[in-house]
Amino acid sequence: MTAADVRGFDPGDGRISTPSAERAPARSAGAAAGLPPLAPDHRSPEPVRSEPARSEPARSEPVRSEPARSEPARSEPARSEPVRSEPARSEPARSGPAWSEVVEHFREGLIICDADGVVGHVSPVAERLLPEVTPGRRLAAAGIPVLTEVAIDPDGFGHHGRRLRIRRVPLSGSRSCLYVEDVTDSISRADALLAERARSAFLAVVGEKLGNPLHPDRAAAAVVRLTVPTLAEVAVLVLAPRSGRARWWRATRADHESPTVDSGVLPAAALPPAIAEGLSGVEPHAVDWLVEQAVEAGWLPGLTAREVTARVVLLPGRDAPVGVLLVARRTRWYDDADLELVRAFAARAGAALTTAILYRNQAEVADTLQASLVPVEPAETTGVQWGTAYRPAQASLRIGGDFYGAHRLADGGAVFFLGDVSGKGVEAAVFTGQLRQCLQALHRVESHPGRLVKLLNDALLETTQAHGQGRFATLVLGTVRPHRDGGLSLTMAGGGHLPPLVLRNSGEVEAVPLRGMLIGVVPDPRVGEVTVRLAVGETCLLYSDGVTEARGGRRGDEQFGQDRLVHAVTACHRMPAPALAERIAQVTCDWLAHGDHDDIAVLALRATGPGGRPRRHLHSVPAIPGTAEERTPRP
Amino acid sequence: MTAATAPVDPSHAFADFLACLEEADEYGAIEVATGLLDAGVPAERVLLDLVVPAQIEVGERWARNEWSVAQEHAATHISERVVAAIAGYADPRPTRGRIVVACMDGEWHALPPRLVAEVLRLRGWQVTFLGASVPAAHLVSYLHRHDAYAVALACALPMRLPYAHRMIEACRRSDVPVVVGGRGFGVDGRWARRLGVAWAADAPGAADLVADERALRRVPPADLSHLADHEYAGLVKRRSELIDSAVAELRARVPSVEDYTSAQWDATVGDLGYIVDSLAAAVYVDDPVLFTDFVAWLVTILASRGVPDTAVASTLGHYGHALRDFPRAGRFVALGAAATVATGGVRH
Repeated sequence: MTAADVRGFDPGDGRISTPSAERAPARSAGAAAGLPPLAPDHRSPEPVRSEPARSEPARSEPVRSEPARSEPARSEPARSEPVRSEPARSEPARSGPAWSEVVEHFREGLIICDADGVVGHVSPVAERLLPEVTPGRRLAAAGIPVLTEVAIDPDGFGHHGRRLRIRRVPLSGSRSCLYVEDVTDSISRADALLAERARSAFLAVVGEKLGNPLHPDRAAAAVVRLTVPTLAEVAVLVLAPRSGRARWWRATRADHESPTVDSGVLPAAALPPAIAEGLSGVEPHAVDWLVEQAVEAGWLPGLTAREVTARVVLLPGRDAPVGVLLVARRTRWYDDADLELVRAFAARAGAALTTAILYRNQAEVADTLQASLVPVEPAETTGVQWGTAYRPAQASLRIGGDFYGAHRLADGGAVFFLGDVSGKGVEAAVFTGQLRQCLQALHRVESHPGRLVKLLNDALLETTQAHGQGRFATLVLGTVRPHRDGGLSLTMAGGGHLPPLVLRNSGEVEAVPLRGMLIGVVPDPRVGEVTVRLAVGETCLLYSDGVTEARGGRRGDEQFGQDRLVHAVTACHRMPAPALAERIAQVTCDWLAHGDHDDIAVLALRATGPGGRPRRHLHSVPAIPGTAEERTPRP
Repeated sequence: MTAATAPVDPSHAFADFLACLEEADEYGAIEVATGLLDAGVPAERVLLDLVVPAQIEVGERWARNEWSVAQEHAATHISERVVAAIAGYADPRPTRGRIVVACMDGEWHALPPRLVAEVLRLRGWQVTFLGASVPAAHLVSYLHRHDAYAVALACALPMRLPYAHRMIEACRRSDVPVVVGGRGFGVDGRWARRLGVAWAADAPGAADLVADERALRRVPPADLSHLADHEYAGLVKRRSELIDSAVAELRARVPSVEDYTSAQWDATVGDLGYIVDSLAAAVYVDDPVLFTDFVAWLVTILASRGVPDTAVASTLGHYGHALRDFPRAGRFVALGAAATVATGGVRH
């Protein structure tokens, strides 16, 4: 399927007998003018006579029989142009075209042999294509076996650098006619078309396979894997060195299997000279010593320099090459068509690798920034079991406009918060980062929730005014302090956020009455404040509007709503906090059923008691009859 | 760890362990597991012979309605903590490539893939466990950032197979070999073969498969030519219309449903949706068994919660009528209706 496979169409010395173009017309014209009427044509004036004789084998000779048969049909007065040479017969002069002349202009050459295989007539075209065939001698004496063999190869045979196809037709009187056609051009056209198709198909596969891996290592492995076996038996890709070290990948042909791929690292200084030259942007032209260098580098296992041919091509990058590709094989030399294909492949490989490296560099930056914006898990706090769930709207981004966190306080308690900023995506995430940093600093000077929220409001107002853009947030912020009995005391301040839920040991679910205004909009906003006691085993649950406003249901347009949330956590009051948080993420996502959603954040705090062990006896929890979520399929 | 004590059989600790799960006693459960490790039982055996059978029992207790979903979630959470403790106890040093383990999008059964992840870790792989319900976009961007040798994906519910297939294709496009597991692919992995993806029956099977790179890359082509009849796409498109009509039919047939609470309605609509989703998945892999298995399971679950099995049969009758133009889906529905009779008959 490679370009090289198609070499058959180019016999190498194909130009030797180009006569067709120049010599043929001149000669056949001359022949037409100069030759005596052809011997067999003596029959032509007697079509009627020959007809009965031909009637049996007629099927096989449509060409010959046609003029004869057409005669009666056209017998009416021929107004056609005067017939020149043979007006003689009773049959109108129409039959009269000089057959010898007509035949000479056929593209096919004619050789007519008598019953003994002696050549009677050779048309000029046949004479040119098969100069060995001489009238008056036996056909076999021409020394071209295919002419006399019974079986005829439909693909033709090579002769004097041309491709000829023959057709043998029996004539009357045991004579036979051999038609010879020069099919060199049509076959080479067909071969070239097939080769071009194979190349396009290969490059299409390459485009498909290389378009996807965005990881440079995997893109490199994909490049060498694609090279074998189409372009090479062994392919080595060397990437441009990074801080003095060059990584290479190699694919080796394995029998009946996908190629084996391995890789390694070389110091830039130890690269073979041809590779180093290539990486500097100069494609090495002298290739004789390339194989030796590759063998010396240990890249061609089990191969010796004498049996291998190799080439190096550059993989274009943004300015300097992104790498070089060494292709090596035993079977055939790389000719121009092969090299063209290797270069076309290299151009695509270079583009894929450049993209992958660009992506890696960008993603390294993005990852670092993202890492600072991903919510940090709450710090361990005595008597508190934390549970969190976080599902950003843009899954590939892993960050969003919801945030939560907790910091330990010097007195053994902790300050915790969960909120949601205006906007979406990266911008929103950056804003949550500012908020969290503000809180991290401010909680050291002010640990009273209400006052801390107001401080935060002032800080946000200042920054948003400085940036000239209205940004605001909603949040619940609280402090948690353990009691000696293992219970927790939570004081929470509300900044326009959804009220927290409390899961009581009795199985009841309470909404905490917490009101307040948005943060970052007006100076001195109204901030609600409330204190809640949690007994051991009780849980307080903070969540963002991504949960309650999740759109799903039958038509995908119904909001999840607080009632469904309350229902979902009912009877879950003895669940560990992490399991509870995950359960809320699960029921919300089930409700969404793969639909788009806003950021989802959940923060749960459970009073575990002083020993860190919540009370047991989960089985004593009465199952609430007829609860619906039990039917969620969890086989 | 090289204690000279006689080999301990993890199954002897099973009852104790299950009692800890039942009481949501995280510390007790971890003590049982680490006790086995101290006695010289290899970590892999503790995972496979203690945690796995206990989790199967948890699922069965939920299915029999002996445990509430809250108990089941709590027990699963504790099992996950135990797995983490076992992994921390063994603390193997990675010597092989990176394998990413994840649950399919919408798939929340994280414990089985977590067990696979730990078994792979114990066998020397560097494992990244991405957790429950990993969105395809997140997984793909992770694969673009980190050079993974293979991805292991879990799917517990057959009705998620069309989504699973999309996720598998997404991984393939990043040129990372995929191995799948979980009951979602059928007990013998038959639907994984249909989707043209390597399948492992259990954690050791997955470990053996990823260790053989050629087997991992040598994947039979997907056999999904039947999708040309567009029945799957038609079902997905008509999903909400089908559910609406089934609700209307239910109202007409059983007047008492008007007294349902909103939660009961949500559950009913959810079940009607699951039936359509399972049917669509069965059409996707062209295997009625996927649908009849689901129907039999649903009948059992609903029966343990007091819903008569004729309810499912009537709804299937309605769906069969509504899907006259879907010959394949219609045939599956008829087989499903037969399954409700068989399942109901066994029980009563």
